[in-house]
Amino acid sequence: MKTIVVGLGNPILGDDGVGWKVIEEVKKQLTPDVPVDIQCLSLGGLGLMEHLIGYDRAILVDAFASNDQSGSILVLKLSDLPNYSAFHTASSHDTSLQNALELGRSMGAKLPDEVSIIGIVTRRVYDFSETLSPPVADAVPFAARVVIDLLKQVTNHKEEYQPQG
Amino acid sequence: MTQRITIDPITRLEGHGKIEIFLDDQGNVANSYFQIPELRGFERFVVGRPIEEMPLLTNRICGVCPEAHHMAASKAADAVYKVDPPRTAKLLRELLYMAFYCTDHTTHFYALGGPDFVMGPDAPVAERNILGVIHKVGLEIGGKVIQMRKYGHTVVEMIGGRKVHPCSSIPGGVTKGITEEQRKEIEEMGKWAVEFAQFSLQLFNDIVLGNKAYVDLILGDVYTHRTYSMGLMDENNKVNFYDGNVRVVDPNGREFIKYAPHEYMNHIAEHIEPWTYLKFPYLKNIGWKGFEDGEDSGVYMATPLSRLNASDGMATPLAQEHYEKFYATLGGKPVHQRLATHWARLIELLYAAERWVELVTDPDITSPDVHAKPTEIPTEGIGIVEAPRGTLTHHYWTDERGIVTKANLIVGTTNNYAPIQMSTNKAARSLIKDGVVNEGLLNMVEMAFRAYDPCFGCATHSLPGQMPLEIKIFDADGNPLEVLRQFC
Repeated sequence: MKTIVVGLGNPILGDDGVGWKVIEEVKKQLTPDVPVDIQCLSLGGLGLMEHLIGYDRAILVDAFASNDQSGSILVLKLSDLPNYSAFHTASSHDTSLQNALELGRSMGAKLPDEVSIIGIVTRRVYDFSETLSPPVADAVPFAARVVIDLLKQVTNHKEEYQPQG
Repeated sequence: MTQRITIDPITRLEGHGKIEIFLDDQGNVANSYFQIPELRGFERFVVGRPIEEMPLLTNRICGVCPEAHHMAASKAADAVYKVDPPRTAKLLRELLYMAFYCTDHTTHFYALGGPDFVMGPDAPVAERNILGVIHKVGLEIGGKVIQMRKYGHTVVEMIGGRKVHPCSSIPGGVTKGITEEQRKEIEEMGKWAVEFAQFSLQLFNDIVLGNKAYVDLILGDVYTHRTYSMGLMDENNKVNFYDGNVRVVDPNGREFIKYAPHEYMNHIAEHIEPWTYLKFPYLKNIGWKGFEDGEDSGVYMATPLSRLNASDGMATPLAQEHYEKFYATLGGKPVHQRLATHWARLIELLYAAERWVELVTDPDITSPDVHAKPTEIPTEGIGIVEAPRGTLTHHYWTDERGIVTKANLIVGTTNNYAPIQMSTNKAARSLIKDGVVNEGLLNMVEMAFRAYDPCFGCATHSLPGQMPLEIKIFDADGNPLEVLRQFC
């Protein structure tokens, strides 16, 4: 099963860059026996879909703006999300990732049937910075662990992890 | 009775904003406010960093037009070092930029602006997207759009070193040239792009211009504002996206001013309103007279439409033919109907594709002479390019080591903040009468600013996320009214 893991976000916008940081951690923890391609992107919509062509499975890691406790980790399927605004998975310049995937498939592109999303909850702040807020930074190793677990199994339900300490 | 109207989120618009509409005693619009929360601290963030980093850092401001920021920052960095890149470096930068333009304009037309026309503005919102377009017009359209994007990305990667966030432009030029093999490949893709642009204009002709209702919609008063028009021009006053002087024409189409990039502060000032963080740029020498049309108001627009208005024509032959047809069809220059921006964008798409072929067949394009070493002490510099959604200005001050001490950016969409505010206000006034909110309000308001292709992510230094935009309507006593939700 050909798999891609994508860290989404903007690395110069504080907590928004958490997806990239998780990917750095995943790279450190990955063992060579897990075949996977890894990318960090700041894209949504059509652009994101274009990067997923050729894969059976995709795992997206991104900051998630919600009212949950900052640093909570959400594991969900793209199909669990309403088809409009899944944080970075949509690009308002073109379309949502769901529509983009449908477009790609109708063009005959091979695209993942399964798209998992690891969301790290943040109170999205609009300040330029290259550092994460403490609760979000604390969540990084746990989120990386979740990604690695996912790489080794297929989850079909939404779980919520609370980082310890 | 409590009523609030909400669009949450506007799924084809970048940025996070809120429109608040206040009604008078008769239930008609008294005022409307289009508010955008601003990201803070970009100017602070770049202070203390080397000027060389700006082309890389600034292309992270916005996920939609990194290439525009990369180019504006590179040109500003050239100016900081007072270095003039070799001709080949400029050709390569512009070639990359044309490929980006073709990608960006294509995406906007087929995925964002076009669906309203192809599907019709009254079609269910769930169908007014790129999927609706391919279902209606044919699958091969989707293939062409994906192909155009692929070619665009390929050229950006070949010249810019990376697919999305190019990294090859540095003070004094670019880090690498292209081989003859790459040149041939880029030429073939460029020829395909020219054909694709012509196909897109034909599609627009058949679907939009062939439909009287759409033409009436475009020419309707709701979407019309008589403002000044801005655009970057070459020495012959032809549209140029990468280089030139900024030309502004008045609402009657007469040249008001033409200035070099380093003179921008003499001509552009920024107005502040208490209800929004984002500033409203205006023509300093006319003055701020509020959100008003006309020659006495300093409001200007910077869009594909304004670039055509501000020019004497297009620099490439096929685009020039369409430019002439555009003004002949719409009643002469300048055109103030904002929805015509969608047509103007396709004419620019054709120009960018033709220019792509021109550049890649220039004998100097494969020269290895791509960098002039900066030798001057760095001081201060300004770089201006046309981003797809408007004139983009980067201004940096540095110390003698080239470390940034101050920065000022005026991004594409910011130029259009006042016109967008005026357009949404006008749409609201026409669709809310005597306390009755017309069902079409949400889409009319959206269509009004979709034409500008606003990227408030960029304008407020945000990023490519999907954020809600909310319309709230209040009665004369300030009580909120009804809620409607719309998902595109």
